[in-house]
Amino acid sequence: MQTNSSIKHPLASLSNVVAGCLLLTPLLGISADQPAKTPPAKPVAATAGSTQGTPNPEVARWEKEFPAIASGKWTGARTADGQPDISGHWSNTIANHNNFTDPQGGIPHDPNPNRLAKGPRNERAPSRVSDPADGQLPLRPWALEKVKEFQIGFHDPKKPEYIEPLARCAPGGVPKTFTWHGFEISQYPGYVLFQFNSGTRIIHLDNKPHLPDYIKLWNGDSRGHWEGNTLVVDVSNHNGKALFGRSGEFVSENAKIQERYIFDKDNKRFNYVATFDDPEVYTRPFTVTIPAKRWTAADKTNGWQFEATIANHPQGKVFLDREERICTENNGGFGLGARR
Amino acid sequence: MKTLSLQLGKPSWRVGLHALILVVASTLTSQAYAAEKLPRLANGKPDFSGIWQTTSAADYDLEPHSNRKDAPPSAGNVEGNLIPYLPKALEQRKKNFEARATDDPALKGYTLGAVRGVYYPEPFQIFQRANDLFVVHQFGHSVRTIYTNGTDHPLEPNDWWLGDSRAKWEGDTLVVDVKHFNGKTWLDRSGNFHSDALHVVEKWKYLDANTIEYKATLEDENVYSKPWTLSVILYRHREKNFQLIEDYRFTLDYDEYYPPKRPANAE
Repeated sequence: MQTNSSIKHPLASLSNVVAGCLLLTPLLGISADQPAKTPPAKPVAATAGSTQGTPNPEVARWEKEFPAIASGKWTGARTADGQPDISGHWSNTIANHNNFTDPQGGIPHDPNPNRLAKGPRNERAPSRVSDPADGQLPLRPWALEKVKEFQIGFHDPKKPEYIEPLARCAPGGVPKTFTWHGFEISQYPGYVLFQFNSGTRIIHLDNKPHLPDYIKLWNGDSRGHWEGNTLVVDVSNHNGKALFGRSGEFVSENAKIQERYIFDKDNKRFNYVATFDDPEVYTRPFTVTIPAKRWTAADKTNGWQFEATIANHPQGKVFLDREERICTENNGGFGLGARR
Repeated sequence: MKTLSLQLGKPSWRVGLHALILVVASTLTSQAYAAEKLPRLANGKPDFSGIWQTTSAADYDLEPHSNRKDAPPSAGNVEGNLIPYLPKALEQRKKNFEARATDDPALKGYTLGAVRGVYYPEPFQIFQRANDLFVVHQFGHSVRTIYTNGTDHPLEPNDWWLGDSRAKWEGDTLVVDVKHFNGKTWLDRSGNFHSDALHVVEKWKYLDANTIEYKATLEDENVYSKPWTLSVILYRHREKNFQLIEDYRFTLDYDEYYPPKRPANAE
């Protein structure tokens, strides 16, 4: 893995560069994308790329391929307690959670043909499954059946389990949160804090033991340490409930998850590379890769990848505000017909 | 023995003076000691980082009350004992009280609000930098940001569940101005409440390195006849390996449907 190589669909032609292409804008325009943030009292419709029917070109500018980043030394700035200083605003660069293995392909079986990707597979971003090499999840037969059943049921959820839990305001969980809106990372002695659009994760860097196994959590229980440019996080106590996206893949509550957040030397990107080991649901361990890029005050707020806004400073100094993340209170049960 | 003889011996101005000096000196020493030992950021401001919780009964009912089937007795947390409700608001508060077993928004797992979150009986963790404090509540894992970067309330605000918090330092006291609330949160489970016109000024101050005094002055012309102040003491969690455990309680109604269940005898 070299930093100058790129990750793309195995059949992608060399002419497919990392250009931000206007792609599948309607993917962001469906109803379940609406909630998850602003109070209905005053939606930020003017800037929200997720607002129904008004896709924002900025938001839809997804990458079809992305650079590989090698684990190695960290040569950039450090926090006072010695961590690589990677604090700031980040978002994935290829797609939302519509489809895990064909991220730009649309929701499987979407009844609206305009929302399904057209054209050959190799013109879209690669599967988030980077191992096995075929990009498919090595599901056991029973689990594959469950995923297929979900993919049909999703579009007319006659059973409660066909509702994608994020549409009920459940926390995004691991790894789905990395494909759902931008997020903020902040760092403290002993901690890395992730504030997602839907949920919050506290990564403990102090090697304290994990919580007792009896406790199961949407975002799991995280212990991390730095290895050069890489934040290595061991996730346990995961409840397996969040699903991977609208395509319905999942792990059991006994999955062992190790995440590697590999930051590039310019501190502008990282790749999230996580291995999942879950013999109950899968025939072999697999690896998930999700690219992310940094957003700063120089970028335009777009209501999805970058939701921070310039704060009101009397002397005009530039600071970013990020609104509270409230979902269930503003929406109750919602999403593709779901009502609690 | 010497101490004993001093206390029991015949009083004299000299002994009294010595005792006074001793008391003054020890008071000064302990104050200086406390000041030295307060956790501070690199910029010298008090560092409230840590996991905090009140032991008070404030969340049951901020006002003085006898024991009830659903609440321990408490002398209350309101200066002057009672919240100065306007007559109409007092009627609403009574209705809330009668319906508290079903209408308390916390029962749905909803974000508690800026003030109630502080004394709700679950821990919260403060993550503090020079420019901001994130208050992460175990309950709902909701996050409130308190800005200490010199910014003011936004020019185009929403009505937020947690309001908008802008703070400044007055000596070692963090003074937080909070407004732009919605009117959907309660102040406790007994139905004390506010409207979206609520304006809060909070004061966070270390009493010692492991104890914070929290005071909040609430004004709301729709609900109260005058501003009033509540206070609680917050204690640092010092249990070994103590940590927040996410409490996304609002998911409990549908938890059972996920993940898919493995059928018996499946491969």
